[in-house]
Amino acid sequence: MPASSDHSPATFSRRQFLTTVGALCLGLGLGIHPTPASAFDPQRLRQSMQQQYGQAGLAVLEEWLALLQQLQNQNVQAKLRGVNDFFNRRIRWVDDIRIWGEEDFWATPLEAMGKGQGDCEDYSIAKYITLKQLSVTSQYLRMIYVRARIGRSQITQAHMVLGYYSTPDAEPLVLDNIVPSITPASQRTDLDPLFSFNSEGLWAGGSSESRADPLARLSRWRSVIERMQTQGFI
Amino acid sequence: MSLIKQLWLAIIALLLLSFVGSLTISITTSRDYIEQEVRIKNADNANALALSMSQLDKELVTLELLIAAQFDTGYYRQITLRDTDGSVLIERVSDTYTGDVPVWFRQLVEFDVPSGTATIQDGWRQFGTLELDSQHSFAYASLWRSTLELAAWFLLAGAISLAIATMVVRGIKHPLSRVVAQAQDISARRFTTIEEPRTLELRQVTQAMNILSANVHQMLSHESHKLDELRRHLQHDRVTGALNRDVFMGKLSSQLSSDGARATGMLVMVRVQELETLNEQLGYAGTDQLLVTLVTQLGQLDNVSSEPVVGRLNGSDFIFMLPLVDDVEELRIQVMAALVEVTATVPDVEVYLPTAIVPYAPHDERAILLATLDDALAQAESLTSFEQVVVRQRERVSLYSSHAEWRAALETAIQAGPELAYFPVVDAHGDILHYECPARLQLAGKWHTAGVFIPWVTRFDMEPALDLAVVKKALLTLQTDLKPVGINLSAASITNTQFVNNLRNLLVSQPLLAKQLCFEVPATLSTHAIGSLRGLCAALRPLGCTFGIEHVGAEFTKLADLHDVGLAYLKMDSSLIHQLHASHEQQTIVRGMATLCHSLGIQVIGEGVADDDELVCLFRVGVDGATGPGIHYA
Repeated sequence: MPASSDHSPATFSRRQFLTTVGALCLGLGLGIHPTPASAFDPQRLRQSMQQQYGQAGLAVLEEWLALLQQLQNQNVQAKLRGVNDFFNRRIRWVDDIRIWGEEDFWATPLEAMGKGQGDCEDYSIAKYITLKQLSVTSQYLRMIYVRARIGRSQITQAHMVLGYYSTPDAEPLVLDNIVPSITPASQRTDLDPLFSFNSEGLWAGGSSESRADPLARLSRWRSVIERMQTQGFI
Repeated sequence: MSLIKQLWLAIIALLLLSFVGSLTISITTSRDYIEQEVRIKNADNANALALSMSQLDKELVTLELLIAAQFDTGYYRQITLRDTDGSVLIERVSDTYTGDVPVWFRQLVEFDVPSGTATIQDGWRQFGTLELDSQHSFAYASLWRSTLELAAWFLLAGAISLAIATMVVRGIKHPLSRVVAQAQDISARRFTTIEEPRTLELRQVTQAMNILSANVHQMLSHESHKLDELRRHLQHDRVTGALNRDVFMGKLSSQLSSDGARATGMLVMVRVQELETLNEQLGYAGTDQLLVTLVTQLGQLDNVSSEPVVGRLNGSDFIFMLPLVDDVEELRIQVMAALVEVTATVPDVEVYLPTAIVPYAPHDERAILLATLDDALAQAESLTSFEQVVVRQRERVSLYSSHAEWRAALETAIQAGPELAYFPVVDAHGDILHYECPARLQLAGKWHTAGVFIPWVTRFDMEPALDLAVVKKALLTLQTDLKPVGINLSAASITNTQFVNNLRNLLVSQPLLAKQLCFEVPATLSTHAIGSLRGLCAALRPLGCTFGIEHVGAEFTKLADLHDVGLAYLKMDSSLIHQLHASHEQQTIVRGMATLCHSLGIQVIGEGVADDDELVCLFRVGVDGATGPGIHYA
């Protein structure tokens, strides 16, 4: 049939054209809007844990998820206590340099739980994230750089704790790993606060969406947030 | 839309697209980058400031000094210190924009950077929140400058691209327009050949059309030669190639009655004495050879015509017409030399070639001329000397006695302007195709036909001037009487570059009248003249002028070379038309010529039609038009 043989190259070229345009659009869409899975995703967390730390890590993660489940409907005090106890029990304090081979490495909760080891800021981050997951918003929570005196000696050490502010100008409750119980700040005479911060301003508008720009990875916070996103925390 | 226009549109669209696209991408990327930098700077500076304030006494004056010091560097749009309730403690704002970036650009870019915030700590408690915004004028200025630079580079690149594109498009356009011209030529049945362009597709088209043209050329050449063979068979003596008696007489009559230059000249008649004796001595073949030599030698005397007019009146009498010759004495010497050549080919035999020379002039009676020739020949026969040449001089009524007078008179006459005669050329329905317009010049107070002055015009190389004067006169007449006129151009004129330029300028100034002009050139054209004619046709065709060839007889074989000139018509020599109704073979030839011409889109017109019999027969064999004494147009 000459008519059809005449016609088919035109159809083909049109189809080719459309395919090309489609591919281009797809490429553009992918290139400009990489869609980061940014939500709390237990399934993904399990996968990440399984891949990185195997069965042992997975068991801790399951406990953590159970804790979340358990504390979900409790009051703030219970949440604070539960979370503080969980991490103080599960994670052994070890210097960063020995765990990660780096001077100062901020680990994600998953990494801390997987290793079972952590530094002061690893405790704080893990507690912070967990509390946020339990609907304690970041306006109440601040990571505080403190100078800690060890024992009765005059030896001081840089340290980080998580502070809970019931109101912005209130005296905070301190969640620490040196003293396992939660105490009001005024009772912690061994600690000398210097500066505090939280994720506001880092996480734009307090949302969980990180600004995924390459420069931001320079900051430790950023790096930790990035990794938490890929692992499925936020 | 033309291909070239489409090419240009595509090029410009591509350039614009790449320009706008790159500019947009560049601005967007720079904007994102700058926003990021500013955001980091905001956060960084807020934190640094808050950090130092955390270490200080929280006395408002100190804090205000610190904020003022920071703010006064000028890099900030706003620094605000709020207490924990959110009420403002200290604020520094500078919202006025300073810079030379246009408003539309700022609105287009519109940086959206969140303020940097940091909390000031007072011991364990929070003292307040510091908010800080950087000044954007620097960012706008830097983005604006880079955009301007990019635009400038793109303009430069665009200009270079356009220059290159111009060259490329010209490279396509030039051969393309030639191919289009050739295709149009072919559709107008002008089978031209052009040089093959380098572009593959165009070359293939050109090759195909060139082959078509070559085939047509070959076919024409073949067919016209076949027709000419037929004509020779009919009109020429089989032994010597001289014209038959009837044909020669026809030619002579038409020349004498014609208005043209060839109506003046010399007739030479040679008798081969005692032909029978020669036959016995030389044998038939030898005698034939001698006669062929005689005709050839006589023919060589005529260096003006393409084919000399030599006739064989009977077995032993040969007659030769030499138009445009007027010096009898010179001719006599030439004839004698030719005859010596002839006799020298048979040294063993006595050959007597008595000869008579008689001049002829327009409107001479043919019978009287022939009688004079016979008389002179008889006298020559009676001569016993070696030179048996008798010249019958007749008192020539020359208008002027010297060359100088002739030249002056002609210059004046051409200056004063020629008059045109009008002879109708009609088609089969009796409608006018055009008028043949031979020129008349006023010499010595009287109007004279071309036969009188053309030999002198030719001698003084005044043909271009005369032809131009004729065209001017025709244009002048056309202003009052709009009818198509045919004007003769001489070969000397069309090969003259200045004449061609003058003619074109003249016609360009009067385009409406130029459409009414037909230019005719005699068929006796050299190859060089054919080239010039082709150029002239190409130059004047856009003005609506048409071209024709007149007096075509034996020259019909040149049709193959003339086919791409773009001729409108072809006038057949009267020798082909004369007594057409009486000869079937002649009709076959004329019909063949007409058919061949029609296949090229050329009209055929018969010249010298003498009566209605010829006229009727002429149209019956497919000729398109007729002219001559037998045409009467009311």
